[in-house]
Amino acid sequence: MAEGPVPFWRRLTNSAGLRDPDRNETATNATPFSPPVDRVSRPAAAPEPAETKVVDSEALLDIWFAREQDDVIVWRSCLPGASAAEIATRLSLVPAAFLADDVDVLQLAENILEIEYGASGTTPPDRRRQEVLRIADQVRATGSAAARRGAALVLWLWASDDLNGPLSVPLSPVYYGRAIAALSFRLAAVVDPAEWVRTADRRDEAARTFLLWSGHLPAGEDEATARSILAMRDSLEQNTALAQTMAEQEHRLQVTKRLQEARAREAAARYSNE
Amino acid sequence: MSDRPVPAALLPDPDDPLALAEYAPGGAVALTDAERWPTLDAAGAARLDGVARHPLAPAWVHRTGDRLSADGIARAQAPLPVDGWLAEHLATARKLPAYRRVAATLGDLPSWPTVTREDLLDDVSAFVPLDADLDRMIEGSSSGTTGRALQIPDDVEEVARSFHLLVKLLADQGVQWRPDPGRMALAYVVHQRQAFTYTSSISSFGQATMARLNLHPSQWPATGQRTGFLLAQQPQVITGNPTSLAELLHPDLVAGLRPLALFSGAMALSLGLRRDLERAYGCPVIDVYGLHETRPIAASADGGPFVILDRRVHVEVLDAAGGPVPPGQRGEIVVTAGENPLLPLVRYRTGDFGRLVDVAGRPALADLEGREATRFLALDGSLVPSVDLTQQLQAGGARGWAVRQGVDGSVTATVVGGDAAQIGAALGRLLGQPVTVAAVPTLLDLGEGKPRRYESAAPGT
Repeated sequence: MAEGPVPFWRRLTNSAGLRDPDRNETATNATPFSPPVDRVSRPAAAPEPAETKVVDSEALLDIWFAREQDDVIVWRSCLPGASAAEIATRLSLVPAAFLADDVDVLQLAENILEIEYGASGTTPPDRRRQEVLRIADQVRATGSAAARRGAALVLWLWASDDLNGPLSVPLSPVYYGRAIAALSFRLAAVVDPAEWVRTADRRDEAARTFLLWSGHLPAGEDEATARSILAMRDSLEQNTALAQTMAEQEHRLQVTKRLQEARAREAAARYSNE
Repeated sequence: MSDRPVPAALLPDPDDPLALAEYAPGGAVALTDAERWPTLDAAGAARLDGVARHPLAPAWVHRTGDRLSADGIARAQAPLPVDGWLAEHLATARKLPAYRRVAATLGDLPSWPTVTREDLLDDVSAFVPLDADLDRMIEGSSSGTTGRALQIPDDVEEVARSFHLLVKLLADQGVQWRPDPGRMALAYVVHQRQAFTYTSSISSFGQATMARLNLHPSQWPATGQRTGFLLAQQPQVITGNPTSLAELLHPDLVAGLRPLALFSGAMALSLGLRRDLERAYGCPVIDVYGLHETRPIAASADGGPFVILDRRVHVEVLDAAGGPVPPGQRGEIVVTAGENPLLPLVRYRTGDFGRLVDVAGRPALADLEGREATRFLALDGSLVPSVDLTQQLQAGGARGWAVRQGVDGSVTATVVGGDAAQIGAALGRLLGQPVTVAAVPTLLDLGEGKPRRYESAAPGT
């Protein structure tokens, strides 16, 4: 990776719509939260009706659920990582420009992944790079501002080493696709990524969610502790309507899994044709 | 009975291009005997072993039990109460994921949308209650003749209870069926190229034995083996479909078997075959109408209309738009079924057609269509039951099909989905002649009714 901020920002500003930042202008200190610099003035957006938000959330969750991620398996395979506080701090340092409405998340991903993987990646990293780009494109296709901001924050976490130094435990690119999908489609569906930066509890939730789907337990926590804390924070579980959607999705996974297991475990004796 | 490996000699010919892996002997064995029959005592085990190891026994493909605990036995023996069941059933169904977005619009039964097999294929879990006891789930594949295989969540106690429905139907005919330690209680016979076969103990019926037997000659290599085994077991009751029951008209079997009753299912039992069986065995022949998805719906003991069973089942006859047809008019049979707690169905379109009539004050189905028993004439003169074609069509990935044989014996198939070339080759091998396969995009292109059509105009079929 580059030594300092200049090459980093130069790469990003070329095509992703980011401007060269004021190092002190983070999303946290931009008040109220909004993209601090709009290059094109635009009318204030009308507040979205509640129904639209639910539909948007469900659409994002549908994308997430279609991945059929089994969180039990993910928890079991987690390795110790950075602390939740370290990731949360990194989130709070996100330059406000990352969350601007006109950032092209696909271009941003391409630039950051080029930094991460290099331009001439070998086959395995290139496969993962393609997976991340495919998800970034999915994010773009949803047209959801929340998903876009969620993806941008994950991209920031990957790229922030250049500005803020390496994390205490490096992230593995193996799970980049899973992590960006989790935060863009699952968490962003229920918590506006603006809150990940602005509110301590939501920042902790985002940090823990990021660590989990990146394949890490927060430093100093075992699986049970980490699960318990994240369950307490989990906005999806605490949103009644969306929790129902999630419960149904888990039900679907359970029924499908049990049907497959039941098939493998023999049928039961039957007595006639039907 | 011990868990023993299947001798290599019993494995099917590995060079057989039509052999399907799931029918390899022992291919689906996973449980211990204690899990298969939790209450099995020494006498029951001895009876079961006597069948399994009988010198004339076929090579069992499968090993399976009823998995009933002592409490489960008691529950399986008693029919579910039917008073007020429909209101309770709708209350349960209203909470299914499938109806979440429309639950507020669902009132009494006519306000509910109909459900099709395609809906279950799309996401069967949406029809399984969120609080269902999945530990009681067993998997049943509805594959027989009705299109792409559907994985159905069955309830282990409900499956066991279906045996006692047969006991009750027989009692309604004045026949008392009680366990006889000297005889097999039930033989469930099929006649197809490949099938699951097994023997089991019926825990809720005095631990009497039962067996699923494939009467196809290829399964009985020794001369006289099939007849010898059946006569040795003397099954009290024999269940099957018209194709397999027709095999019972073999003179050696007619001379030696003394069943209390025969049950037919899955396909239409012709009046001619019914009379032949009644004459041959002098016992009731009961035709049971049902689908795996809905469980048994109605029965006919005399070849007349099928009387709706006195259980958690409600039948409507609807037109193509989903509205009720005038009383006595023909329409699609739509069933609300509440016997299987893991799949509480509301207004399930069966794809079968008929008329709702009154028989001695009870609702009944007349002129039932959609269960035709079809066989195809192979080039060597043998008759191939449609289920053999079904297995190959499903193995080729088809979601629906129409297979027709002309008077001249030529066969054409129209399929939805799947690999047409693979299907054509498999059907060609099965029938010993080229089969032309055409692909169409949707099930609707096959026309009204079930997503399968079999028809043969060839002589002798």
